[in-house]
Amino acid sequence: MKTRDDQGHTSVRSSPGARRASVGGPQLALLPPVLPERNPETESASGQALWLAVDLPHLALDALVQTGSMASKPLIITEDSARPRVHDANRSARQAGVRPGMALADALAVLNAPIVRDYEPEIIRQHLQTLASVLLQFTDHVCPEPGERRILLEVGRSLRLFRGTAALEARVRDTLRQLGYTPRIGIARTPAAARLLAHLRHPARPLARDALRRTLSPLPLTVLPLPAADITALHGIGLERIGELLRLPRNDLTLRYGTRLPELIDRLLGDRPEPVPRFRPPETPAFQLDFDQEVNAIGALRFPLKRLLLQLEQTLRAGNHHIQGLELQLRHRGTTTRLTLERSQPGSRAEEWLELWNIRLSRLELPAPVRGLRLAVPCLLPAGADPAGLFNSRDGTRDDSGFLTRLRARLGDDAVLRFAPTLQPLPEEAQEACSPETFPALTSAGATPAQRVVGASLWLCPPQPSPPPGPLEWLGRLEGGWWTGNDQRRDYAVTTDRQGRLCWVFRDLRSGQWQLQGFWG
Amino acid sequence: MSALEELLAYPGLWRGRGTGTPAATPTRPSGFAQLDRVLRGGWPRGQLTELIGTPFGCGETRMLLPVLAACTRERRRVMLVAPPATPWVPGWRQLGVDPGLVFVIRAASEEDIIWSCEQILRHPKTGALLAWLHGNRSAPLRRLRLAAGAGDACAFLYRPPAAAAQPSPAHLRIRWRADGDQLHLEVIKFTGGRVADDKPVAIRRDDY
Repeated sequence: MKTRDDQGHTSVRSSPGARRASVGGPQLALLPPVLPERNPETESASGQALWLAVDLPHLALDALVQTGSMASKPLIITEDSARPRVHDANRSARQAGVRPGMALADALAVLNAPIVRDYEPEIIRQHLQTLASVLLQFTDHVCPEPGERRILLEVGRSLRLFRGTAALEARVRDTLRQLGYTPRIGIARTPAAARLLAHLRHPARPLARDALRRTLSPLPLTVLPLPAADITALHGIGLERIGELLRLPRNDLTLRYGTRLPELIDRLLGDRPEPVPRFRPPETPAFQLDFDQEVNAIGALRFPLKRLLLQLEQTLRAGNHHIQGLELQLRHRGTTTRLTLERSQPGSRAEEWLELWNIRLSRLELPAPVRGLRLAVPCLLPAGADPAGLFNSRDGTRDDSGFLTRLRARLGDDAVLRFAPTLQPLPEEAQEACSPETFPALTSAGATPAQRVVGASLWLCPPQPSPPPGPLEWLGRLEGGWWTGNDQRRDYAVTTDRQGRLCWVFRDLRSGQWQLQGFWG
Repeated sequence: MSALEELLAYPGLWRGRGTGTPAATPTRPSGFAQLDRVLRGGWPRGQLTELIGTPFGCGETRMLLPVLAACTRERRRVMLVAPPATPWVPGWRQLGVDPGLVFVIRAASEEDIIWSCEQILRHPKTGALLAWLHGNRSAPLRRLRLAAGAGDACAFLYRPPAAAAQPSPAHLRIRWRADGDQLHLEVIKFTGGRVADDKPVAIRRDDY
């Protein structure tokens, strides 16, 4: 291991950053020597911080669902209500010549009846939060930066798990694309440099300090996050490239431009650590999508709903959670339709939830056109083993809970019931309704009191007065309820009424009245 | 086509190079010797059985209890769809049915009832389905017949008397009528052959 390090990465050793990293060396040495093949790239970086910046330049567009048929219609998003200008525009608007930053009036002049939407920072912030939750599956240190529509990830410790920077980058990119976003990704050893590379869509992945210096040097000064005045001043002394700036002595720069410029350089190269706050995911995540136009057909909700459910699945995977219930809010103009769904088994898979929602939505009539969807999670459950399992459940049946869940999704949560016998003596209290997944273990193997006396009746009705019966067969006497104040003494019998029904009746010993309790047949 | 197949399945029809009697439908013993003889072994599995009659509560559920108890002994479910009253499970337990395997499905509209029955019949753990249908229409039953064929549950459909006049895709149709201490069962359709004698089967209601 050591020799390979010496051979391949002498340049790393010579740099101060790598010397710092080698303080953690003993820990690395403890690792077992037999490991799956590692490329030297990951090895050199496995101890030190490595930053991945995800830039989402079109987040405002991605956050709007473009209802399928309208894909060709120009859509622009405007900001700054005092002097409206174009924040972003879709492909069709760009082809007509609209560019971000253009005045709205100019954009309207070249477009034929575009859809115009306002830029809403709050929605952008929500989407970044959702994506930050999703990205928590790659590292524990995630930081969304809403003002810049960017998310920073510290991935130095995740490289070995995800097998190198290239594979990790591809995973992050695919995850975000699948959710409907268009990311630009930059990876570097400092957050500042990662931001820069992501913004520029630069292909280099400098993990070492010298490589970073080489990557940055040819870039023009204008890409640096500096005020325009500073850039002009630097241009004024004949500097064009970052490399020329890096060669200047720091102390003189401080004297001439204050501390801002040297600090930026130090943060870019990693000579001065940059604190990056850690993102904590919300306790009850919520997911939201808005449509570019109002939607009237249920069918058009399915695709955006799938996108929300995929976001949900990824977020749950990141937090190692499952959910059992979900609330879907259809947002209309001014009002909201709330739908809830409860499953009998917790789970997180998007396809399973989508199937259930499809059943539920197919029976819904939209009260008003829908402008957006919101998915709320009432509570998160810790994930156990995957309920669907690698194989089918033990007794060989497939998708057992899904079956009852489908019934409940369509008929309502209280439409699927079981009844459990209780020890109460009165027949109407001798059983309790339970939902399919909660069924108490029967307390005793023997008969319950009510069962012992009145035996094998089959059907129960609420007690209702009945005329005195004809010939009857006595069953027995039940007394009960005196401890709750509902004192009852009843003599039970079975009789046949004129229609031929086998009735299960009782006589109230206090009032002498006959009551129908149910049916024997 | 299906009419022709039904005709070919009729054992009274002699076919020149026929293969003899068609494969027997699997059954579950009904618990009544007389009834088993008429039904050629018991209640058919994987087929629809219609029980036509009124009013509710004459013993038409009780006569099925031996079958239901056998289902729960095999750890298969008994599904009650849209029953007119609440099952009193201590009584079911007394007759050998495990209450943990008895599910009640509450559904109001005909469409929901048929849909639930379809889902239930297709599920492999369903042992028996008891559904109370209000409508006279027989068309939705074709869907149920297909679903029943996908599993091997006993499917009992309770239907009002007016349904007897309608044609139906059910395998077995029985009209029941309470008379004194007996329940008369009259087979009005039995795919695959006439009943040996056309007289109704009488089951004593206090036998069980």
